[in-house]
Amino acid sequence: MTETDHSAADDRVLVRAAQQGDMTAFEELIARHRDKIYARAYSMMRNEEEAIDLSQEAWVKGWQRLAQFHGESGFGTWMTRIVINLCLDQLRKHKRQRTESIEEMSEESGGVERQMPVVTVNPTAGLERGELRQRIDRALGQLSYEHRTALVLHEFEELEYKQIAKVMGCSIGTVMSRLFYARRKMAALLADLKNEDGK
Amino acid sequence: MMEYNDQLKLQAYLDGELPEGEAARWAERLARDQEAAALLTELRQTRECLGGFEEGVKLPETREFYWSKIQREIERLETPRPAATATLTVWARLRRLLVPAAGLAVVAVAALVAAYRSGPTMVATETAVADSGAMIYHDYAAGATFVWLSYPADDDVADIDEEATLD
Amino acid sequence: MSVLQFPRVLIWLVASLFLVAGSATCTQAAEEMKIRAVLVWATDDANPPAGKNYQPVAAEIRKRLRALKWKNYFEVKHIDFTASSLSHKSVPVSDKCSLDVRALGNSQVEVTLIGKGKVVGTVKGALPKNEILVPGGDAPNDTAWLVILKRLD
Repeated sequence: MTETDHSAADDRVLVRAAQQGDMTAFEELIARHRDKIYARAYSMMRNEEEAIDLSQEAWVKGWQRLAQFHGESGFGTWMTRIVINLCLDQLRKHKRQRTESIEEMSEESGGVERQMPVVTVNPTAGLERGELRQRIDRALGQLSYEHRTALVLHEFEELEYKQIAKVMGCSIGTVMSRLFYARRKMAALLADLKNEDGK
Repeated sequence: MMEYNDQLKLQAYLDGELPEGEAARWAERLARDQEAAALLTELRQTRECLGGFEEGVKLPETREFYWSKIQREIERLETPRPAATATLTVWARLRRLLVPAAGLAVVAVAALVAAYRSGPTMVATETAVADSGAMIYHDYAAGATFVWLSYPADDDVADIDEEATLD
Repeated sequence: MSVLQFPRVLIWLVASLFLVAGSATCTQAAEEMKIRAVLVWATDDANPPAGKNYQPVAAEIRKRLRALKWKNYFEVKHIDFTASSLSHKSVPVSDKCSLDVRALGNSQVEVTLIGKGKVVGTVKGALPKNEILVPGGDAPNDTAWLVILKRLD
């Protein structure tokens, strides 16, 4: 049996083929978008294994729901929404299981970010892309789940405040506070890392 | 120092979330308020440095391995694709063998007995059991696979020595 | 290659294949899975037997047992262990029977029921994360024993 070469096909063509049951077309879609989906899961979960598992679960769900995809958005965008929802469910489970630290409760109630001095040094100045990515990675890992989620949904997923509020199940005011805290904390962390590394 | 609400409004200005009139007022204020301008610069720089962050992130598994797990899971969930080969349940096999009405009656009785024993509908799984009297069923929604072995415990499980060690 | 040399080449080829297969086996890393085995007594009785301080199973487990008919599920004991592809881990079910658990890799496990020193049945199946695999069987007085296997890793 000859297999169709899907490597040159457009995403829309592949999606149509996959909707007809062509698993090789779906596999090609996965190959094209897997890094993006994994990256989103990793940004949210901060754990490689969990991010792999959740991204795979997202693909399985994507396969099951293919009939519901009508092309209103790009296929990659549609898939990232699926993986984000899975990550949010998982994060909520984590939150129920863990004991909140005092620091996290203080972050939640807010206040500290209002008094942080403004960071005047550009955190990207003089850095290679890879080095900056490493620093951002470290800094993201130091945010709480609520702050990181708000940041990821706004900066990476480019959702509006009201969309983030709906997804996170909180008010727009809370989204604004969390986003503000996350940004200010990131700025401070990146500036600290810059100082630590002597650059 | 700026009021906290003003700081949040400044963020909303940066994100394009303010109504037009309010955004215009902030643009005017930024021309004369150095503190606000500095904070805006910091927020903007943070946003810029986050841009493209995820582009460098790569999935740490080969294409084939990653796909093989997804494919296996899809097949396990028996998605409604024509090419899938169905594994017959114990009861489906029995129905095939006992087509006449009398056979159907036997099957019905057996199904009732099984339902009494275990409750749920029998569902095919990939689990293999080397025990001819065993029954398997999978509750997909609950994420549970039950393997009912034919061997009964002689003693009450409840009487097991709690201090019994493993190994 | 002459006719006389052919058998010698064949012998070398076969020997090489054995060598490669042998070294692959020796160097194969053991597959491991961290598992919790929870021995559960399923019953319609409201309380555990007198003198036994068994607690009802956790709500999360209870939800997953909804397919079964009993009213109550008491945890007799639980043990956390690492199942390996190189050795069996024994989980006692009663004084006379136990389960041997072995990891097979790729989220697969092999569970063998040993009764009175003899193998009664073996099940090989998937134990994905966030799912449970439950070997079980009837016990006296219309009760049942279950061993709930759950991944910890």
